[in-house]
Amino acid sequence: MSWTDNRAGRLASGLAPLLLPYLVLFCGGVMLTICQSFGVFTPLPHVGDALDAYVKILNDPAFFSSFGFSLGVAMVSAFCAVAAGTFFAYQVWQLPAKLANAALIYKIPLILPHISVAFVVLVFWSPSGILPSIAHSLGFIQTMQDFPNILYSGWGVGMVLAYTLKGTPFAMLLVLALLVRFDVRQIQTAAMLGASGVRIFFSIVLPRMAPAMHTSFIILFLYGFGAFDIPFVLGESRPGMLSIHVYNLYFKHDLARRPEAMAILTMMFFFAVIFIIAYAKTVQRLENGVRKL
Amino acid sequence: MSRRGTIFSMMMIVLLPSLLSFALPARASGEALLEIPFEQIQDQARGTQVRWYMFGGWAHVNTWVDTYVAKEMKKRHDIDLVRVPMDAGVFINKLLNEKAAAKQTGSIDLLWINGENFKNAREADLLFGPFAGSLPNVKKHVDPDSITHDFGFPVQGYEAPFGRAQFVFEYDTARVQNLPKTIAELKAWIMAHPGQFTYPQPPDFTGSAFIRHVFYAVTGGHEQYMAGWDPDLFAQKAPLLWDWLNAIAPFLWQKGRTYPKDSAFLDTLFARGEAAFSMSYHPPHAQNLILQGAYPKTVRTFALEDGSIFNTHFTAIPFNAPNKAGAMVLADFLISVDAQLSKYIPENWGDFPALDMNQLSVKDRKRFQSVDLGAATLKPGQLAAVAVPEIPAAYLEALEQGWKEHVLDR
Repeated sequence: MSWTDNRAGRLASGLAPLLLPYLVLFCGGVMLTICQSFGVFTPLPHVGDALDAYVKILNDPAFFSSFGFSLGVAMVSAFCAVAAGTFFAYQVWQLPAKLANAALIYKIPLILPHISVAFVVLVFWSPSGILPSIAHSLGFIQTMQDFPNILYSGWGVGMVLAYTLKGTPFAMLLVLALLVRFDVRQIQTAAMLGASGVRIFFSIVLPRMAPAMHTSFIILFLYGFGAFDIPFVLGESRPGMLSIHVYNLYFKHDLARRPEAMAILTMMFFFAVIFIIAYAKTVQRLENGVRKL
Repeated sequence: MSRRGTIFSMMMIVLLPSLLSFALPARASGEALLEIPFEQIQDQARGTQVRWYMFGGWAHVNTWVDTYVAKEMKKRHDIDLVRVPMDAGVFINKLLNEKAAAKQTGSIDLLWINGENFKNAREADLLFGPFAGSLPNVKKHVDPDSITHDFGFPVQGYEAPFGRAQFVFEYDTARVQNLPKTIAELKAWIMAHPGQFTYPQPPDFTGSAFIRHVFYAVTGGHEQYMAGWDPDLFAQKAPLLWDWLNAIAPFLWQKGRTYPKDSAFLDTLFARGEAAFSMSYHPPHAQNLILQGAYPKTVRTFALEDGSIFNTHFTAIPFNAPNKAGAMVLADFLISVDAQLSKYIPENWGDFPALDMNQLSVKDRKRFQSVDLGAATLKPGQLAAVAVPEIPAAYLEALEQGWKEHVLDR
């Protein structure tokens, strides 16, 4: 056996404790999901064509509205979280050292589970919640019912609020990690040469923060697109998030519909993969046109 | 990765399930249990542990199982009862996976189950039996005609009766005075009071039951559906239901744009005063919540004159239960007069007995009659007067799917 073969073999056996669970659990799970979506290995013998589940789903306009809605909620909340996270990170970075230490409280939502953040939003914004109570006692509204209808109004606002609340400190964390290594003299030089604060931010700081922003956007977007806990508490019936739809199909309907649940999961998985590739390609193309600092 | 590494990991993928499914020695071979006398089963179950998987969302029911049932099982049969909280849909999936992995010795001894989950379990051949006919308390106290079907699906002895449930509406006497008595009056009430009524989104258990009540009422009664699934009949009748539900939708909570996710959510809306009515498939539910302090003392229940659906809930034994003998002893104890009576007391649970009162001794019947159900719970006579049976499961599935298409996504 050649030297390189030996090395690869050693590498593989060294990585085996990591690779095995990955292969067995993750790949096995994905394979089984794909198989069941085609009606193979289903709990009940599958009658009909392998593609039945896909045909049924792709002919259902409700699926596309759910898909678009999930996409929209994930996009908006990831965008808001990254924008707010970047803004706050930049502000915190500019603070004097003492205050910057105090600003570490921004990390608190990071340790809260998603489900707690969902309940925080629920407690604050529901028609009998804290914000309507405050508005009422301050005399802004006549009765608690006059408070604008935020949750369960059909637009996913509650979920966007919760994801943004949870995602902002995450984006801050990633962006700050890049900023602390940033050479402040670049800004000082630009300022001496007469650049405005806005110009400095967009021409010097933003390109520097971009990789962290892209990473946090992808992570937050894909999480928001497929996650279950926040929609379970704050989700609306229509169009409904895909994750809730899959949960209902899997646990609450006839076993004969298992391939449909699995087909949706399969499509979500491949969508996520395609999204990451497309996003990375786009970012790469955009950055090739920009002069590196 | 080198070829050797690939082969090694592929072998592991193939071997791992069989390595995981190591078989424990079984105490009794399953089918033989159905032949031997029950005393022998009781002897065999002595000193063992029984794991009962059941819905864990009701604190008072959990307490009843952990205290009364566990204590009596230890005292009477020297059996250690372990209650495992799990939704029925979840343990069915667990069993499906175990079946697919050919796991002969599972971890579940007894299930609390009925309806679609029973149908799913039977169709996938996940249950042991028929065992219900071997249980002395079923033979002595249960009317065999009352347990032939579960949501229209033949029981055939694969589950033992455990309790009876019936659908009621809940309201606050301090808030609603003129109660609707029929489905038609309910519609008028909803339209006269916009934003104050809603129902849990099917396929939630309670919301699904609510639309079946409307289905019966607006299509001319339940009798026509009892013969089993008839697609033509469904296609002809279902639009009446969609029309009714779509007509009230703009007058519902949140203008019908969204529905409560489950009955617990509706209970919260009701308790907070955002909804004027709640509903439950469990007659003592409102009384339980009053006792817990979640509902005001002025809450009462009522049933509509068009009919109120009842069903029986059951216990069943999985095909790979490690302790089938113990499971049979527990299932038998649960349908005993003592357990059914204890379960009937609202402070414990308030669930209605699945026994045939005519087959009880006069003394036992008196014990049931003397139970104080609480002010909020309807009397068994009032409920029996409007009781109508559940619809066959195929209709149920079609109604839930149709609701999504014709009402939610309209």
